[in-house]
Amino acid sequence: MTHPRADLTALLDGALPPDRAEELRRHLAGCPDCAAEERRLRGALSLLGALPPAPEPSPFFATRLEARLREEREKRVGFFARLVAARWKLAVPAAALAAAALVTTAVLRHAHARELAVAEQLELLEDYEAVASLGDVDSPEDAMVVAQLDDLERAEGTP
Amino acid sequence: MAPDPDAALMVAYQQGDERAFRSLFERNARAMVSFCHHFVRDAARAEELAQDVFVKLYRAKDRYRATARFSTFLYRIASNHCLNELRRGEYAARPVGLAGEQDGPPDPDALPSGAATPEEAARGKALEGAVRDLLSRLPEKQRAALVLCRFEGLSYEEIAQVLDTTIPAVKSLVHRATVAAAEALAPFQPAVKEVLS
Repeated sequence: MTHPRADLTALLDGALPPDRAEELRRHLAGCPDCAAEERRLRGALSLLGALPPAPEPSPFFATRLEARLREEREKRVGFFARLVAARWKLAVPAAALAAAALVTTAVLRHAHARELAVAEQLELLEDYEAVASLGDVDSPEDAMVVAQLDDLERAEGTP
Repeated sequence: MAPDPDAALMVAYQQGDERAFRSLFERNARAMVSFCHHFVRDAARAEELAQDVFVKLYRAKDRYRATARFSTFLYRIASNHCLNELRRGEYAARPVGLAGEQDGPPDPDALPSGAATPEEAARGKALEGAVRDLLSRLPEKQRAALVLCRFEGLSYEEIAQVLDTTIPAVKSLVHRATVAAAEALAPFQPAVKEVLS
């Protein structure tokens, strides 16, 4: 025979389906051990139910809570105020950073443009030197040809 | 489901009505102090815990969904808070008898309600001590289930919602806690037999 001890508390609490409760009651009627356990549990429930009620809240309970809630509200307001203040505090360094970035970009672009110009002049100089070494640059026309030597080479390479 | 006036107040508070929160507090303050007292069996600490619960409720307004019963929501906050406090070990370290109530002969002016004589008061005090001792020894989930079931009168289904578990699990928790209570309170059982007879 299996003893349904695990269901005894639920039986006392009225938490079993009716058919299961009826089954247990029939078992208890014929099983002295389970009936004794059921009485023991019932006794414990009676004792727990006989405990004096919890004490009433003190007269200052509501006042103290109100003070804590006031702190909560101030914290909320404080948080938003700090957020706004922080926004202005951060605005100055952020603007300075952006300006610095703009200046750096402009300087770099200018330097890059100068380097490109120098590079072009260097190429031209190299072309002059190459052609002059042949002794063929005698006139301004020759100099023009040298200046446009790259373009002429590309044009000649085109079918 | 019957209309839940506390749920309506909570919704009003969600929409910015601070007076609704005040009403919620007035309607539930005593129950929360009582609930926390069942956890810690210490009147002063129970008030502190109940205050914490209402502060948490004040902060948690955006988490409440009107589909849930307000009492379930509140008990959930309270159970979690009390269990967290118990986990911190502050109460486990307190010997029985130092948790707010004094030992020694009962003060006749402070007899528990229903106690007609000093002897009954003394027995009631001893019973309280035994229950406090029992609660301090129970595993936390059993403790919560016992308090919610025996002292707060919640159904197994409601306890399952509060503790975020299943009804069979609650049935098992409540049963094991009740068996532990029967063992712990065995010395007081003859008194029950007298009452029952």
